[in-house]
Amino acid sequence: MSNSAIIEIHNLSKTFKNTSEPAVNGISLSINRNEIFGLLGPNGAGKTTTISILCGLFPPTSGTITIDGKSLVHDIAAIKPIVGIVPQDIALYPTLTARENLNFYGHMYGLKSKDLKNKIEMWLHKLGLTESANRLINTYSGGMKRRVNLIAGVIHNPKILFLDEPTVGVDVQSRNVIIEHLKEINKEGTTIIYTSHHMEEAADFCTQVSIIDHGKILTQGTPGELIANTPGADNLEKVFLHVTKRKLRD
Amino acid sequence: MIRKLLATVKKEALLLLRDKVGLSILFLMPMILIFVMTLIQDAAFKTINEKGIPIVFVNNDNDSLGILIEQGLRHNDLCTFYDSIDGKPATMELAKLAVAEGKFLVGIVIPKGATDAIRKNVTELVNETMNTDSTGVKSQSTDSVEVTIMIDPVAKKSFLISVTSNLHEFISEVKTKIMFQAFADQIIEVIPGKPATPSTAYKRTQIIKYKEIYASKSEEKIVPNAVQHNVPAWTIFAMFFIAIPLSGSIMKERNEGSVFRLHTMPSPYLLLVIGKIIVYVIVCLIQFLLMLSVGLIFLPMLGLPALVLGHSYIGIFVLTLATAFAATGYGVMVGTLAATEHQGAIMGALSILLLSALGGIWVPSYVMPEVMRNISTYSPLNWALTGFYKLFLRGAGVTDILTDAIKLFAFFIATMAVASITNRINRTT
Repeated sequence: MSNSAIIEIHNLSKTFKNTSEPAVNGISLSINRNEIFGLLGPNGAGKTTTISILCGLFPPTSGTITIDGKSLVHDIAAIKPIVGIVPQDIALYPTLTARENLNFYGHMYGLKSKDLKNKIEMWLHKLGLTESANRLINTYSGGMKRRVNLIAGVIHNPKILFLDEPTVGVDVQSRNVIIEHLKEINKEGTTIIYTSHHMEEAADFCTQVSIIDHGKILTQGTPGELIANTPGADNLEKVFLHVTKRKLRD
Repeated sequence: MIRKLLATVKKEALLLLRDKVGLSILFLMPMILIFVMTLIQDAAFKTINEKGIPIVFVNNDNDSLGILIEQGLRHNDLCTFYDSIDGKPATMELAKLAVAEGKFLVGIVIPKGATDAIRKNVTELVNETMNTDSTGVKSQSTDSVEVTIMIDPVAKKSFLISVTSNLHEFISEVKTKIMFQAFADQIIEVIPGKPATPSTAYKRTQIIKYKEIYASKSEEKIVPNAVQHNVPAWTIFAMFFIAIPLSGSIMKERNEGSVFRLHTMPSPYLLLVIGKIIVYVIVCLIQFLLMLSVGLIFLPMLGLPALVLGHSYIGIFVLTLATAFAATGYGVMVGTLAATEHQGAIMGALSILLLSALGGIWVPSYVMPEVMRNISTYSPLNWALTGFYKLFLRGAGVTDILTDAIKLFAFFIATMAVASITNRINRTT
């Protein structure tokens, strides 16, 4: 493991039951500390599967993963407390208030009541949700839900944060707030692994980008490097289409 | 870990309290079932007991047999006596038609000359025995007396057996009385100077008497009635019905993504399940207390008998707790096995209806055919019901229900094992 790498993936594969094609097919990656790493790809490319494996949701079929110097397979209990996740779906209880949701998830991360209470209030204030914190989640707009979904993943100050399309389906205002705060979290020392279909957002947000398709890494570098190395490309979207081709995906 | 568990319990309790439909299924539905089923069954019981079975009587005999049976039926609480149909005196044909139309449950026809026939038979028997027939020719026995009992074809067989056997017994008693009197008259004729036998002497022929009591270990007088049967039965049904909201809650968490997040957290998934079990076991205990209060307080307000609990409160607690664990375990298993909320709701509801039917909740298992009776012993609802019957009806103690309680706890462990294995398979594939 290199000194600055916080995540090292070697030859990672995952084949699900009753499928012949692997969802992830021999990926090898090294993600440095404090990086904002974009894992980009079309639908069904293997992004969510990779993140799910890295979060310990299910085991890989083969390959090795080391997170913060610990083996994901053998030392998952030590890895879980330092990892946060903001899933693509709104993973909140619709009939609980924002405060009740955050209180529950905070406790599940092992935070103590007083510390948790302070953190909840701080984050609610930062993301403009203090006024509505006692409202049930099912009364929230899409953007508000996304903001609470984000807080639930960062409430315990994780070393590594996985974001699976954190801004999908939200308005520009909410997206800006989310991205700004993610940058702030990153400045405070959190490594971010991020997936998105918004190429412009990824180009602005990420320090490193990998484009993945059919479970394989197709290209990797900084957004600037990728644009420069792709003939005729002046933005990340053109790089993306050049690498993944224009064929429609299911 | 305790803090995490408490947070899970709090979260689960809040989710349940805000689920108005789920709460109504858990508390209102069983209360309504107990009220309705008990009132219906008690009303049917009372109709037969208070008003009696409608019987139409056709007396073509107009002598001792007919008169005595008529008097007996008129003064019997079990029946309502009619000797006319729509204002016309009852005849064999009219009675048959009226019973067929369901106007009466039973029709009784005493044939013409029935008493005479009995007397004649007795006279001939006495003469034969004493050899006093002047002709010296042994007579052939006269025709037997044929009392016709007509039955409404809609009436249940078990009920009719009970009614007709009572009628047979009563008619037989009347016949014995007439025969005894005829014998006495004949003997006076054969042996002149013998004092007349008292008219009640025939009663001495009834050597065997029957006394029916309910066998119970309790010193309290426990009378089986609709309340004693329905309150425990529907309470168990309600406790197992928590499988539907519980499995729904598990599937919602899975479908809404909470489980995804929870699996990535430094807390075992089992903790989340334990939190659910704690909340739903408490719900089951509250359900039980509520249903008991219905049986103890509210049903008597409607003129129904009050529930008698027996004498073993420890037994009731142990069995209730075991039933609560079995029910929650079942809910967790259904929630884990089902792929969607819709599938879980159908799987949960149908399986509980089936298990309750097999377990004797709807129809007592002792009236089932042998095959079904054997199958019913595999239903956890049957174990619970058997246990509560032992406590509430047989006056049993805690040791008597231990087998039932252990079976229910074992069922809980088995369902949790199935849920755990299924969950592991789903996550690793």
